[in-house]
Amino acid sequence: MLKIDAITKKFGTKTVLNGVSLTVKKGEIAVLLGSSGVGKSTLLRVLSDLDRADAGTIYFNNKKLDPISMHKQHLVGMVFQQFNLFEHLTVQQNITLALEKVAGKTKQEAAAIAHALLTHYGLADKANASINQLSGGQKQRLAIARSLAMKPEIVCLDEPTSALDPLLTTHVGNTITQLAREGYIVLVATHDTALLDKLQCTIYLMDNGSIVQTANSADFKAHPHSYPLIAKFVSGTIA
Amino acid sequence: MINFSLLLHSMPDLLRGLLVTLKIAALGCGIGLGLGTCFGVAQALGPRIARLAVTLYVTLMRGTPMLMQIIFIFYVLPQCGIHIPAFWAATTAIGLNSAAYISQVIRSGIASVNRGQIEAARVLGLDSSTIIYLIILPQAIRAVLPALGNEFITLVKDSSLASTIGVAELSKEGSLIRSRTLDALTVFFGVALLYLIVTTTLSLCVSYLEKRMNPDVKN
Repeated sequence: MLKIDAITKKFGTKTVLNGVSLTVKKGEIAVLLGSSGVGKSTLLRVLSDLDRADAGTIYFNNKKLDPISMHKQHLVGMVFQQFNLFEHLTVQQNITLALEKVAGKTKQEAAAIAHALLTHYGLADKANASINQLSGGQKQRLAIARSLAMKPEIVCLDEPTSALDPLLTTHVGNTITQLAREGYIVLVATHDTALLDKLQCTIYLMDNGSIVQTANSADFKAHPHSYPLIAKFVSGTIA
Repeated sequence: MINFSLLLHSMPDLLRGLLVTLKIAALGCGIGLGLGTCFGVAQALGPRIARLAVTLYVTLMRGTPMLMQIIFIFYVLPQCGIHIPAFWAATTAIGLNSAAYISQVIRSGIASVNRGQIEAARVLGLDSSTIIYLIILPQAIRAVLPALGNEFITLVKDSSLASTIGVAELSKEGSLIRSRTLDALTVFFGVALLYLIVTTTLSLCVSYLEKRMNPDVKN
């Protein structure tokens, strides 16, 4: 179980995250919903240790985590908005690099893990292709496969549909659902309400660095008027 | 008219000079590439003090002629008790000068690498040196290979400055043959031809490397 407790982050005088708290259990999906600049991506970056929180605590399975131990345990896998794949490496090398250099696997072991992941994400035939030869959807699947290579417990996806053709939203939704079914704790930062529609999740609506409303997605679909802020966002009045 | 018989007769001396030229260029290139890469990385990714030190070095080396730097190492350092043979004085000066230019080429290459890849590597747990050597530098060098190729070609031509302190490289051998034969046209035609062969070969090698380092071509 991941518990984020009162995380605050400032950039200069601007407070980007203001005491954000949430809890996500194994196999659950948390969607951080909100417009650009409300702090969704920053929360994922704090969780990935790309940015350090100014205050607050992160717990994993009731143990307090400091960023260094989070890093050492490879608890978090991150799928970036622009994928951030290593463009000079092949598809397979994108996965094997960390396995060999960080996890200390042999070339053969790393290749076997990469092959299993690529097969799972339908990229086995692209193993030796360069990144430029992949479509947007394939790049995202590779980014997900790469983030899983180090066996993280938590997978963060930052705006997973924004760099893709809208037709792929259903596919992305299925992939995220599958990640949760496989037991990962999944956090998704998005402003894409079409993606939200595809997920069984807990919705955390963010505004000005704070969570302003929380809802179970099934509850929200059944009773949208009980969640006026989320309903407004989804209907586009805030966005 | 070019005296081909004299040209052929002079070729062993010219080739001996060319070998010295190639030695100076190769060693200077090694010093320049090694130091230049370290300096470029330090300036692009290092702490403030390292960036400042590299900026100072680059200002100094780019702001003074290479000839002065060769003269400084060969004539000034002995006054401080440091005696360096002419060949090594020229090679060191050329290498140190080249390092300043190469550092800026590498720095611009590093700036062209998408920062997001560095963040992705950090999340995967790669340490800083692995990120520099396996993620940043291969892409940075690929991006600046044409500029690096130009720098290496310039370095081959600049090696002729070694003749000013008596190193018998290609230009110096040419001058010596000219003073013996008084046929400047033939001798310097030969010298220029040899420089052209070396620089053209170097250009072709750089083009080949560019293609090899392009992942789309490689795969």
